[in-house]
Amino acid sequence: MKKLQSLITLVAAFAVLFIGFTTMNNGVADELPIGEKALMTDVKMEDITGSMISLADVAGENGLLVVFTSNTCPWVHRWEDRYVEIGALANEKNIGMIALNPNEPTRGNGESMADMIKRAADYNYNFHYALDKDHKLADAYGALHTPHIYLFNSDMTLVYRGAIDDNARSAAEVQNHYLKDAINSLAAGEAIAVTTSKSLGCTIKRD
Amino acid sequence: MKTPLILKTIFGDPDRMNKSALFLLIFLFAVIFNACNSSDNNDDVVFDQASLLIDVEPDEISGILEKYKGEKVILLNVWATWCAPCVEEFPYITRIQREYADDVQVVFISADFYEDRERAIKFLEDHNVNWETYFKLGRDEDFIEALSSDWRGSLPFTQIISKNGEIVNEWIDKAEYEFFESQVLEALNQ
Repeated sequence: MKKLQSLITLVAAFAVLFIGFTTMNNGVADELPIGEKALMTDVKMEDITGSMISLADVAGENGLLVVFTSNTCPWVHRWEDRYVEIGALANEKNIGMIALNPNEPTRGNGESMADMIKRAADYNYNFHYALDKDHKLADAYGALHTPHIYLFNSDMTLVYRGAIDDNARSAAEVQNHYLKDAINSLAAGEAIAVTTSKSLGCTIKRD
Repeated sequence: MKTPLILKTIFGDPDRMNKSALFLLIFLFAVIFNACNSSDNNDDVVFDQASLLIDVEPDEISGILEKYKGEKVILLNVWATWCAPCVEEFPYITRIQREYADDVQVVFISADFYEDRERAIKFLEDHNVNWETYFKLGRDEDFIEALSSDWRGSLPFTQIISKNGEIVNEWIDKAEYEFFESQVLEALNQ
């Protein structure tokens, strides 16, 4: 019996060694903690207008809203009706908003710049939409899935991170409007009540 | 007693039936009946299709996992029909269930949207799943926290739970059959 146990251990150890190390965070850095400064703010990225823009370029007087997104993720599609509402609210509150597409391995499968341009036109995106080449920003921010939100204040300090709200499927059934509440609090100079939230979503493709 | 016509047609008149033929008939029935009952192959057991996809609230999950405590290692997998990597790894997990049926229980939880519930059932049927699986209800955040506070919500999500109920490993993104097998074996070895 002991021999069998040793053999199983050996097989398991070899398997882990040779098959690769699959982990909870997939080798990606931890998520940027609340209270930390925005990273890679001067990195220029191509957006759907053909311009090269950075997070610093997009930031407004009251802050910056970064949304890691995808053209093909069904979870994004369910929330997408709220993207434009959030875009209008951010604009009204002088918070710059940018969506970033980090899905590098699937550029040829719905995530190309041409696809991004089409998606933005079809769904009336009223915010910047740029290509996060080689998912460099997603890696730096520790973003694992789409959609995923990072909201910074005027000092470019992270004040909210997580989901748009608590119901992807139906805007009418939302109980907690996490992001809207955070934007309103931020613009009013008030403390943000809920600073992090979680939701299900599509894994950012990094292979 | 009058013998019904249909029996007479099939077996002949019992009054005139040869005794040895009757004995042979009873023997054959006994053999068939015994074969049906003694099979220990799960595939032959009639599975109640109503249990193929059971709605589950976040606070009910621990009770489901508790059922296997002390009995089997659990491979829990959160998947959805819209999730490409989930679909890719799905056959590897069903293979684990078939090859380690005595020691491992695969617990699938679908995170599909409610309107896609039938699609999820069709998918399970197409993959010959013949054990109870679950369908997520309730808020994402409650669901995520019910499974793991370290999980941030990316799919697929897999958790390996030892027979004594401890989480041995958990990860996101797809894996190959050999990886699932190595993790299950490691849990069995504990």
